[in-house]
Amino acid sequence: MERAVFAERRGILGARTSFTALNYGFYILLALAIAGFVYYFYSFREYVFLDLPVLLQGAVLTIILSLISIVLAALFGFIGALGRLSRFAPIRWVAFVYVEVIRGSPILVQLLLWGFGVSTALSSLGFDPYNVVYGIATALQSNSLLPDPQPFNAAFYGIIALSFNYGAYLTEVFRTGIESVDRGQGEAALSLGMDSRQTMRHIVLPQAIRITIPPFTNYFITLVQDTALLSAVGGIVELQTTTTSLASTQASNPGRQLFVYVFGALIFLIICYPLALLSGFLERRLAKAD
Amino acid sequence: MNLIIQALPDFLDGIKNTIIYCVISFALALLLGFALALMSNSRILWLNGPARIFIEVIRSTPMIAQIFLIYYGLSAALAIYGLASYDNAWTAGIATLALNYSAYEAEVFRAGFASVSKGQTEASLSLGLNEQQNFFRIVFPQAIPLMIPPFANDLIYMLKDSAIISVIGGVELTSKIESYRNHNGSNLLPIYFLAIVSYLLLSLPTSYFARSFERRLRAAL
Repeated sequence: MERAVFAERRGILGARTSFTALNYGFYILLALAIAGFVYYFYSFREYVFLDLPVLLQGAVLTIILSLISIVLAALFGFIGALGRLSRFAPIRWVAFVYVEVIRGSPILVQLLLWGFGVSTALSSLGFDPYNVVYGIATALQSNSLLPDPQPFNAAFYGIIALSFNYGAYLTEVFRTGIESVDRGQGEAALSLGMDSRQTMRHIVLPQAIRITIPPFTNYFITLVQDTALLSAVGGIVELQTTTTSLASTQASNPGRQLFVYVFGALIFLIICYPLALLSGFLERRLAKAD
Repeated sequence: MNLIIQALPDFLDGIKNTIIYCVISFALALLLGFALALMSNSRILWLNGPARIFIEVIRSTPMIAQIFLIYYGLSAALAIYGLASYDNAWTAGIATLALNYSAYEAEVFRAGFASVSKGQTEASLSLGLNEQQNFFRIVFPQAIPLMIPPFANDLIYMLKDSAIISVIGGVELTSKIESYRNHNGSNLLPIYFLAIVSYLLLSLPTSYFARSFERRLRAAL
């Protein structure tokens, strides 16, 4: 028996050394695959530089939309987390229903709800976000900076829908972060004469933020990807919308149409993959720090 | 209210299609995810290299880009070979959901396998079981209960993400909203609330099950 196990172990180790030659084969194949992908782009070389500026414009808008949305979502999430940890039961219930309803329904339906349902309901009541902002901008003598009303309103409701949705997820992230700080620390701070607000600000939050950073970056990555859903609502020319509209002009040329979709997905990959690496790095560093 | 009663049978039809999409895609995603997890756990670069690349690419691109690529881009390319009729909303939707979720299920499988303590593997190997026996008789059975809550959570995510199929013209719950928007343009809010309530009715029992299972599991461990 012992000998059998030993022989098997040796077999595994022996196999591992004989794999190295095969591994070189894999790297060669990988290099060939990458070269093939590069050649695929090269075969469309007259279009790459035609499409790139258009797609990059969409990518810039995607990044701007995601940044604004994640800041607002963090705000919603922070308020939601405080609500869920509130001493007053009604506030706790409101926060609970907010989280459950938002997390239980698709973000696409919520985007449609804000973009079509709420916006038409509000505009029939006489509320138009563009006019409000235009009025403020006029008072500040800077209304020439505003884009056209239609994309502005689409972006307004899109950002609200995205940040309202991600606020619910971040509520749970922040709540678990706050709850993970040892209760004794809060009690110690209170007994040292800090009030509950000071305890939250100086003792609990600095430690909670550290824990929430990795899930926060993960949600930011999915948020960047979910901005692509705005193309289903329409009105905003972010990356997916530009990709789809570029492709639809090429309906007569199927290979070229496929190329545009691949190109658009590649730009999303270029935006999101470094973020994924960053979040993995942060996770490992935090795991080491603990 | 009238509108809701009028829309209800149509919505039930949409719910049925959403469930069909999710059940088929989730079964495929589990199978593919299992294969991907075994591949990426393998020491052989020929197996773990492609699996890692697939998982990273899928997780770093939005699902809507994938579904457009599969539905419009690929069908355009398939049309050259006269195969475009196989690339309809059903196949493209199921393929996208299954491929996308297989990457996530692979991570769940991997985490599940990793959570079975190493000592068990060492014990079974020293008792003379070979690697296959160790995996299928010792590690895998113990990992299953640990993986059920994350699978249930992913099923809920898939239920919600299946809404994306409506953008390629697939008939399911969300596409019913779109068709009602085109018919009765002015008063939309009740339709949206009906859709959200339908999704909640589908997802809340699953998440309740996941949570109670998790609680019982924690008590058992």
